[in-house]
Amino acid sequence: MIPWLLEALQCLMTLILAPALIGFVRLLKARLQGRRGAPLVQPYRDLAKLLGKERVVSTQASWIFRAAPLVLFASTLVASLLIPLVAAPLPFDRVGDLIVVVYLLLLGTFFLALAGLDTGSPFGGMGASREMTIAALAEPTIALAIFGMGAGAGSTNLGEIVARTLANPGSTLSSGHLMAFAALFIVMLAECGRLPVDNPATHLELTMIHEAMILEYSGPYLALLEWAAQMKFFLFLALLCNLVCPWGVAVALRPGTLSVAVAALIIKLAVLAIGIALLETRLAKLRLFRVPELLGVSFLLALLAITTSFLVR
Amino acid sequence: MAPDLFSRLVTLASSLVLLSGIAVLWRHSLEAYIRAFARQSFLFVVTIVLVAAQTGDARLYLVAALVFLMKVVLIPNVLQRVQRHVGADLEIHPYVNTPASLVITGALTLLSYAVASPVTTLGSVPTRGGIPLALATVFVGLFILVSRKSALSQIIGFLVLENGIALLAVLATFGVPLIVELGVFLDVLLGVLVMQVFVYRIRETFDTLDVDRLKKLRH
Amino acid sequence: MLLIALLACPLLAAVLAAPRSLDRAAVERAGVALAGSAFLLSLVVATRVAGGGVVSVGPEEFLRADGLSAVLALIVTGTGLVALGFEAAAGTAAATPEAEGAHFRRYHALAELFLFTMLLAVTVNNVGVMWVAVEATTIITAFLVGLRRSRAALEASWKYILIGSVGIALAFLGTVLAYFNFVQRVGVTPFALHWTVLSRVAGALDPDVTRLAFVFLLVGYGTKAGLAPMHTWLPDAHSEAPAPISAMMSGCLLPVALYAILRFKVVVDACVGAAFTDRMLILIAVLSVLVAALLLVRQASYKRMLAYSSVEHMGLMCLGSGLGPLGVTASLLHAVTHAAGKSMAFLLSGAVRERYGTSRIGSVRGLLRAMPWTGALFAASVLALLGLPPSGVFVSEILLVRAGFRAGRPWVTAAVLVLLVGIFIAVLGHLNRMLYGDPPEHLRARDHPQRLLPLALNVAVLIVLGFGIPGPLMRLLGTAAGIVAP
Repeated sequence: MIPWLLEALQCLMTLILAPALIGFVRLLKARLQGRRGAPLVQPYRDLAKLLGKERVVSTQASWIFRAAPLVLFASTLVASLLIPLVAAPLPFDRVGDLIVVVYLLLLGTFFLALAGLDTGSPFGGMGASREMTIAALAEPTIALAIFGMGAGAGSTNLGEIVARTLANPGSTLSSGHLMAFAALFIVMLAECGRLPVDNPATHLELTMIHEAMILEYSGPYLALLEWAAQMKFFLFLALLCNLVCPWGVAVALRPGTLSVAVAALIIKLAVLAIGIALLETRLAKLRLFRVPELLGVSFLLALLAITTSFLVR
Repeated sequence: MAPDLFSRLVTLASSLVLLSGIAVLWRHSLEAYIRAFARQSFLFVVTIVLVAAQTGDARLYLVAALVFLMKVVLIPNVLQRVQRHVGADLEIHPYVNTPASLVITGALTLLSYAVASPVTTLGSVPTRGGIPLALATVFVGLFILVSRKSALSQIIGFLVLENGIALLAVLATFGVPLIVELGVFLDVLLGVLVMQVFVYRIRETFDTLDVDRLKKLRH
Repeated sequence: MLLIALLACPLLAAVLAAPRSLDRAAVERAGVALAGSAFLLSLVVATRVAGGGVVSVGPEEFLRADGLSAVLALIVTGTGLVALGFEAAAGTAAATPEAEGAHFRRYHALAELFLFTMLLAVTVNNVGVMWVAVEATTIITAFLVGLRRSRAALEASWKYILIGSVGIALAFLGTVLAYFNFVQRVGVTPFALHWTVLSRVAGALDPDVTRLAFVFLLVGYGTKAGLAPMHTWLPDAHSEAPAPISAMMSGCLLPVALYAILRFKVVVDACVGAAFTDRMLILIAVLSVLVAALLLVRQASYKRMLAYSSVEHMGLMCLGSGLGPLGVTASLLHAVTHAAGKSMAFLLSGAVRERYGTSRIGSVRGLLRAMPWTGALFAASVLALLGLPPSGVFVSEILLVRAGFRAGRPWVTAAVLVLLVGIFIAVLGHLNRMLYGDPPEHLRARDHPQRLLPLALNVAVLIVLGFGIPGPLMRLLGTAAGIVAP
């Protein structure tokens, strides 16, 4: 029973805490910019509002338009089962490892891009092509970073990687580890549509990527898409935190350690969220043709992470 | 400090040296190049201090002070004065564009690991993790030199190359004999001073720092 | 003491260029006198070490002259004497119109410092200090090359200092690797960078790191020596520099860079056997001769033609170094004869340029009519450089071919011979265009044969060596070759 409960707990945590994380980041940015900002619970209210609204679907849309929000939401939720949020190793580790997680998230992106193209609207097509460019450039980096982290632990199983890092705390100070973190951080910015890659608050034609793809959606579909994006952000951040700084993650499945793990996760996420808010306030959005350069740098960082960890023993 | 920790810190410092060299390939303005070089030299000084602290060699502290004075303070100042005087050129169309440069840098890093393998297997200095990174910095400096068009960026490329070689000397042999070290300092300083004189002259004569225009002498 | 006196001569001459109380003529005369004494001192050193002895001074032989150093010191001081003498005899504004007035002092001081650093490089035992000296030559000559301030000169000096500095930096990398090798295998000793110490422990060094170090050293010092494919700076720099500087660079600096490679060759050969370095040297040599041959066919400027000829001759010297003891002897003899011929050619080309106002081959016609003595000597020097008997270059090239066949590399030698024939045809064609025909209108037949007196030394060397190598010289060359390839 306990393993199923644990997985359900992770699922619920993702569902419930993801909007709070986004709300926290938005609040911080607002305060840093000198505004009062919407309260922390505003994303919840937005989701509730959207769920109650009418859905308007274009007559040109096909089944992909209706299916995409569901696929995106479902795949992200399934990914939350495999990422060690509060405990490592996870009971579902045998079902999927880090590669599966990454490609689940990518599946959602793929369907979203298709949906953007589906209605034939120019904004959707533009957003989809930009999104695919960025995703294609981020893929090699993710693969390299995965192998970098995995080869150190002897397996690409996320739970095992976290467990190994817990057992060997000194390894977090190695240059390979830190560079892999830097590479994954940049990839996270690209995949989750944060500055300097994409401005999540804009609706200007020249600058929007993620917003462009979901432009045609309304009502419960839009709610699912927004929620899925928030969950993706939450999961990426949690992954970054727990891979690089695994202290607090529960190894034994007892209520005491689990509550400590939940608290630790919240603290780590808050710290990372503060960092991201600061970064977003300082940076301007990169022009689109500069994004490959940024992702090239992250690729190089991942490559260096592997070489410094494994080519000189 | 424990040899394991020392090893890791030195490798970390060397990677940061390499990364600040790569920053030159990523940025586009000459001021950023000069700042990246100053940052790289500073990280190099940190590496020297680490090695000095571990080996207890007082000579290395002197070397670190000299490097700091020359490469973090003096040379970036000189270069900034030149850059401001001849106008803030941007490296807009280098011979190799940025994403390609970064991929080539990855290949050069792998090459440097291959080339440096006899060096890292000979003996067991605790700093051997950083030796291939120092060699990679040398290759990156060389690449900057051949792929950028502005005369100032070519100087920066040469300085990055020089930093890489000096880092290799510190990591592999914990510094070379003092007389050679002093000679090297003097030579690098004089070299940079001579080069900046030539940058002024090029700007006066050709009205630009674009070395692509220097093609009167072909074959 | 002897060595310190030898080094002090050019240093003193550089200092004497400073005081205002000495005018240009006095500075020049002092320079020639000191150059002459330097030449005599190097002759004394040569006689002392010809039998295998060594002249040294300082802790653990800090300054050390053996047979190899003596040969190069002779070349450096001899060429310096001729170049400075030619300038002094030519009077003002003859060979170096660029060095006018106040600039003259700076020019003269830099030229003397150039000689000093080259002499230091060949007499110092410490390979690190040798590196410092060679780097110093780069910086000094960069100023001298760019003296004229024309667009072409600026471009040439920029390329020179950039490529030269990169080459030197790579040579330093090789030196560091060699030092690392020593420290890992033997331990830190106070005189670890002394060449004598290195060659003593060569057997104990790690072979792979030694090979890697030699590659970097060959590429690095090879850049300074003008070997292909790192030669791209040479045609520009040697053609745009003032004529005496070109003479000194072609005649002295290039062989000094090769000397640095040879010093390390001794250590590397003792460690991994001679086959590795021989193969690399021969490869680079053939490439250099090939590049020179291809590019000499279409040359528009006679100074650039001479510069490419330097690339070719450096290739030949490099080839000799890879062909065993006889080859090294040939290579060193070639260094002597090439220095004599090339410096004479460059100095005369300076006179021609001053007269005709241009360095284009097409614009120079009727040289034999307009400047009979200068033209004849210029033709003689170019023909001597092409290897026409009875020039010393012919003898050294014959020796080189013999060495090639004896070392068991007939195909390489044959290929180089074919390339030499090609070069002969190309350069002869250029020369003929310059020598014959009617000189342009505005040039009257005016020449100053007395200016050419200092070149008597060069002519003597070329002719004497063209008929046979005198015994003492042969003994010295044999000793030097024995150091490099025992």
